[in-house]
Amino acid sequence: MDYLYSILILIGLFIILASSFDLVIGHCGLISIAHPIFYAIGAYVSAMLAKHNIMPIPLAMLSGGVVAFVASALVAVPALRVSGDYLLIASIGFQLGLIELAKHIHEIGGAGGLTNIPSFLIRDYGRESYVVLVLVLAVLTVLFIKWLTQGPYGRMMAAMRDDELAFSMLGRNAIWVKVSVFGIGSGIAGIAGGLYAHYFRFLEPDQFGLLQSSAVLTMVVVGGLRTAWGPVIGALVLQLMPQMITFFNLPPSVLGPLQGLIFTGLVLVFMFKRPQGLLAAPVIWTGKTPEKRGA
Amino acid sequence: MKAHWTLKSGAALVLATLLAGSAVAQQTSYKFGMAMPLTGGQATYGNDQVKAAQWAVEEINKKGGINGKPLEMIVMDTQADPQVGIQAVNRMISVDKVAVFVTAWSGVVKAVAPIANDNKVVELSVGANSPDISQLGDYVYTTFPLADVDIRAVAGYSAKEMGKKKAAVLFINNETGLGSATVYRDTFKKAGGEVVAYEAYDQKATDFTGPLLKIRAANPDIIHLQGLVAESPQVIAQARQLGITVPITSYSGIYNQKLIEQLGAAAENVIATSLAPGVEDSPLVKDYVDRWVKEVGRAPNGLPYTQYLYDTPALVAAVFTALDKKGIAPTGENFRKEMLAIKTFDLPLTGKVTFSEDHTVNKPVYLVEVKNGKWTKKAVVGQ
Amino acid sequence: MFDVAVVSQILWTSFATSSYFVLFAVAFALVLKVNKVFNFAQAGVMTCGFYAAYVAVRLLEWSGFAGLLAGIAGALLMSFILEHFGFAVLRQRKASPMFVFIFTLIVSQFISYAIMLVFGTWPTTIFASMFWPVTLVGGIAVSAWDVPAVAATLAVLIALWVFLRFTRYGQFMLAVADNADLAELYGIQKNKVLMISMLMAGVIVAIGMFLYGSRAQVQAAAATELMLFAVASTILGGIGNIWGAAVAAIILGIVQNSSILFIPSAWQGFLLYAFLFFAIVLFPRGFRLPERANKLKRTIRAPDALVTKQEG
Repeated sequence: MDYLYSILILIGLFIILASSFDLVIGHCGLISIAHPIFYAIGAYVSAMLAKHNIMPIPLAMLSGGVVAFVASALVAVPALRVSGDYLLIASIGFQLGLIELAKHIHEIGGAGGLTNIPSFLIRDYGRESYVVLVLVLAVLTVLFIKWLTQGPYGRMMAAMRDDELAFSMLGRNAIWVKVSVFGIGSGIAGIAGGLYAHYFRFLEPDQFGLLQSSAVLTMVVVGGLRTAWGPVIGALVLQLMPQMITFFNLPPSVLGPLQGLIFTGLVLVFMFKRPQGLLAAPVIWTGKTPEKRGA
Repeated sequence: MKAHWTLKSGAALVLATLLAGSAVAQQTSYKFGMAMPLTGGQATYGNDQVKAAQWAVEEINKKGGINGKPLEMIVMDTQADPQVGIQAVNRMISVDKVAVFVTAWSGVVKAVAPIANDNKVVELSVGANSPDISQLGDYVYTTFPLADVDIRAVAGYSAKEMGKKKAAVLFINNETGLGSATVYRDTFKKAGGEVVAYEAYDQKATDFTGPLLKIRAANPDIIHLQGLVAESPQVIAQARQLGITVPITSYSGIYNQKLIEQLGAAAENVIATSLAPGVEDSPLVKDYVDRWVKEVGRAPNGLPYTQYLYDTPALVAAVFTALDKKGIAPTGENFRKEMLAIKTFDLPLTGKVTFSEDHTVNKPVYLVEVKNGKWTKKAVVGQ
Repeated sequence: MFDVAVVSQILWTSFATSSYFVLFAVAFALVLKVNKVFNFAQAGVMTCGFYAAYVAVRLLEWSGFAGLLAGIAGALLMSFILEHFGFAVLRQRKASPMFVFIFTLIVSQFISYAIMLVFGTWPTTIFASMFWPVTLVGGIAVSAWDVPAVAATLAVLIALWVFLRFTRYGQFMLAVADNADLAELYGIQKNKVLMISMLMAGVIVAIGMFLYGSRAQVQAAAATELMLFAVASTILGGIGNIWGAAVAAIILGIVQNSSILFIPSAWQGFLLYAFLFFAIVLFPRGFRLPERANKLKRTIRAPDALVTKQEG
C-alpha cells in the first residue's frame, strides 16, 4: 500500500509544482527553469525549523513558502530590470549556485543530505491522512490558479504577454506584475517542498538540480501550457509512465537504460504528435469578463 | 482522448499488478529484493554487482534452493538517487512483499532506512561505507565495513610499516571524500606522522594542477588520494606529469586492471586497499574472476564489491533455510531474529562476517600495489 | 606559493585544458547566435562524437587520425538528424522557444540512454593510455597533449573566423543570425543556412571531445556536465558573441585553477558560480570585445565641427 501512497503523494506534489510553474512560464510568459530550487528552499527551511523545534510543522511549511517567495523576489527584481530573457540566466545561476553552496554547509547535511526530518500526521493519523492532505492541497492549488488566471489578474497577464510595450503604455508596470507572479509561483512551490520533506524525511541538494527542472518543465509543456488541467495531466502521465514501464519485466542487464529510453522516447513522440501540448490553450484569453461575472 | 486513455490504462495496470502481487501468499518461493543503480553514473558498478548476485542465486537454486524451493531475486533500479531508491524499495515491499532487501550507495541506504524500519523489513547495506549507516535503525545492517576501516588501515600501515613521516591528502570535495580524508589525517597523525598538505578538488574539475602543485611544494613522502573512479586516473597521471614520484595510496575504487592500461609506467607505486581477498589469496576468488573473463570478456568493475554481492544471496539463503526448516514464516521480523541468532556467516568470496550489536562489521584490509605493471599483494592489515 | 614556476605552470596547464572548453563554448554560442536555440542537445552530439571515435580507435583499431574523422562523422550525423527531424519540424510548427528547449533536454537524455544501452557505463578514454609524456620547458611541465590541443583549437577558431568573414555562407549565417525572415526576403535559404550552422557546430564539438577524451575518461552522462561550462562561457561572453564566449571559456578555466593560490581548494567549485554571479550582475550584456562600431563612428564627422568651421 505504501507504494501506492507514495506514488499518489508524488503525483499530488508534482501537480502543485507543475501548476505553479505553469503560472510562471505559461500565463506570465517568464522564461525560467529554476522552479525546483524554490521547492528545495521550502523543503530545507521547513525541515530545519521542525528539526530544531522552532515551530510546529504546519507553520514551518508555511514559513518555507514565505522564504521561497522572498528568495524568488531577490532573484527576479535585479534580473528583470535588465530584460526578460535575463531571468533565465540569473535563475539557472541561482539554482546551481545555491545547490553547490548547500553541499558545503554541514548544518543542513551538506552533500550527504539531511536525514531524520520529523514526520507529520503519519504517527497520529496514518499514511492515508497525508495522502489526503497532499491531494486536497493539489486540488486547491489548481483551483486557486484557475481563479487567479480567469479573473482580472489573468487578463492583465495575458495583455502583458501579448504585447508588453502596449501594456506599459497603458500605465501598467510589467516588472512588478512579473515579480509578483514569479513570487506566488515560487512560494507555492516552497510549500510543496515542505510537504515533501515531512513525508520522505530525507533531502539531498542534488535532487533539485537540472534533472528535476527538466521533469517539471516537461510536465507543463507536454500537458499543455496555460490550461488549468494541462499541468495536472502532465504530472499524472509523467509520474505514471515510468512506473508502468517497470512492470514490463525486462531483463536487469538492459532494464535501466531501456526504461529510460522508452520513457524519453514516448515523451518525444507526444511532443511531436501534439506540440501544443495534450490540452491546447486558447490563443485569446478566455476568462470571465465582467458580463459573465454578473457585474 | 489520448490523455484519458493513458490515465485509465495507467491506473488499471497499477491496480492489476497490486492484486496479482497479493495473490502469492503461500511459500512456494523465497524472495528478496535487490535495489541497485542500473542506470545513471553509478550503473558501471551497479550492473556488475547485480550480475554477481544473479550468478550466486543461480548457483544456490542449482544446488536445491531453499530446501527444494527456489530463491528469487527481485531487481529494481535506484539510479543511486535517494528518491528513485525510495520508490523502488516501496515497490518491493508493497507489491513483491519481500522480507529483506539489499541496497548500496550511502544516499539511497539512508533515504530508505525509515521505510525498512517502519515496515519491519531488513535492509542489508552491501558496499556503502558512510559511518552513519550503523545508526540508521534496528532493521538496517551492513555486511561491508564502514568508512573508517580501510582508510585507518592504510594510514596506519603507511606511517608504521612503510615508515612514512610526511603525508599529503588529496580528496574530492564531496561527503565521502571529506569524511575519509579526515579519517586518514587523524589516523596518520596519531601514528606519529605529519600531514603536510590537505587539499580538495571540485567534483567537476578536469584539471588538478593547482592542488597538485600545492602538494608538490609541501614535499610529502606519500600521498593519499580519495576520489572517484571517474577522475582518479587523471589525478595520478597529472601528478606523475608534474614530477611527483612518491607512492600514491587510494581506496578500492582504483583497484582494477584498466588503471594499468591507462597509466602505463605512471601506475607504478600506486597502492590500493581492498576489503575482500584477491585472486592470490583464495582459489574461489580466482575461479570467480576467471568466470568473469570467460563469460563477460573482462574482470568485473569494482571486484571487491562484486565479491560482497556474490556472497549476499548465500547469507540470505542461509537465513531462509533456517526459517524454512523451523517452519517459521519469512517475515522481516523473523528474518532479523534468525539472522542475529545465526550471527556469524562463512561466505565463499569474502570470508567470515559477524553481525554485532552496534550494526558494524570488521574485516581485514588487503593492500595491493602496482609493481612492474601488475597488481601484486602487499600486505594484510587487521586480520 | 606565489613563486614564478608555480604560477606559470598553473597558467599553462589551465590554458591548455581550456582548449576543449573553448570549442564547446564556441559551438554552443554559434548555434545560439544563428539558430537562436539554447541547444542542450549539444551534449548528445558530443557523446556521439566521442563514442564514434572510441569505436574507431579501440574496437576497430584504426589510427588516431582516422578516429578523429570517425568522431567528426558521428557528430555530423547526429547534428543532421537533430536539425532535419527535430528543429526544422518544430520551426515549421512554430513551436515556442520553451518547447524547443525542452526538446533539446529530452533528446539529450534519450541519446544518453541509447549510448548506455550499447556501450555500458564504464568510463573510458579514446586511446588505451591517458598518460602523455612530459617535457620540461623552462621548469614548466608541458605534456605531449598540450601543444596539439592548443594548436587544434587555434586552427578551428581561425577557420571559423575566416568562414564567417570571407565566405558567402558565412555572411549568410550572420544575416540569418541578425534577422532570419529578412534574410529570406533577400533570397537566402534559411533552412540550408541553419543546417550548415548545426553541422559546423557538430564538427567543432567532435574535435573538442576528441581532445577531451584523449586525456580524461568519458561515460554516457559526462557531456552534460561539460555543457555547463560552455553555457556559462556563452553567457559571460555575451549572447550573440562567439569570440566573447571563447575568451570567457579561457578566462573561466584559468580563474578556476588559479583560485587555488588565493582560496582553500575546497571552495574552488563554488568560486565558479560566485564569479558567474558577479559577472552577470556587473556585466549584464556580457563582456564585449570592442566592435566594429568604432569604424562607423569615424566616417561621420561631428556636425558641430562643420558648423563652427563655416561660421568661421
